[in-house]
Amino acid sequence: MRTMGWALILVCATLFSVRAQESGEGSIAPSILVLEHAWFDGESRNDNRGLDRIFDNDLVYIEDGRTMTKAEYLLRLKLATPHPYQVVLEATAVRTFGSTAIVVGTYREKSLKDGKTSPRRWRFVDTWVNKKGSWMLVAAGSSLQSK
Amino acid sequence: MRMLMLVTLLACVGTSAGYAQGDSASNDASKVVAMEHVWAQAYVAKDPKALDRMLDPAFVCVNSEGRSLTKAEVLADVKASTATQVLPEPMAVYLHGDTAIVTGTFRTKGIESGKPFVQHERFVDTWLYKNGQWISIASLVTPTGD
Repeated sequence: MRTMGWALILVCATLFSVRAQESGEGSIAPSILVLEHAWFDGESRNDNRGLDRIFDNDLVYIEDGRTMTKAEYLLRLKLATPHPYQVVLEATAVRTFGSTAIVVGTYREKSLKDGKTSPRRWRFVDTWVNKKGSWMLVAAGSSLQSK
Repeated sequence: MRMLMLVTLLACVGTSAGYAQGDSASNDASKVVAMEHVWAQAYVAKDPKALDRMLDPAFVCVNSEGRSLTKAEVLADVKASTATQVLPEPMAVYLHGDTAIVTGTFRTKGIESGKPFVQHERFVDTWLYKNGQWISIASLVTPTGD
């Protein structure tokens, strides 16, 4: 779950296996990855304004099998109670299709609860659309990886 | 597993400002919902042919087990489907120019290794209008937790 705590988020700055697909559009991938990092960073700082700028108003966000709107997402982040939490972004791939980009990747989450760590790994799919020159997140979801 | 089917679905259509609106948006939404039906039929019939035409060669799916699947792997899954019944629930369609986001839930019943199972899952699919037709470029499925 990427929208939980914001007290301690460690984002691995180095992305592995970054691939830009579709000829001639390789320059888009780095821009998208910067936005993915901005998302993680915005959460770590409880920066609703920052996320407001990169989330489309019609964002569809799926987490733990539930759908969340942009407003619900930002409200939850605003009200979130700090707790020790760690997210590490792992392998990430970007596929671009003109003004649409798909990001598929994994991240590890290590949450602390009652003194115990609970590591989990998620795989996610994010969809970005270029609107008037700005890439906006229009859909995102993650699925817990089975062991 | 990614299985919907033929029962009537409710489609809510949302459009972003400055993008497709009105009848055109409604038509596009109807088309992608119809294709979701075809997708579902493919699983029930264990027939990947129709689905083959609807998925982009670079299509990627993350299934409810958190595995990433290529188009070829999804088509193989269709052939091996164990679903006997799929109960679809409301879908919502959001149009962003040539991109459509479809989300919803479905309940699947089937038999695997001789044992009946029921799954309730939520999905979000990304469709792209490319070369005069809608094709899917990404899909994510996750258990609803019910």
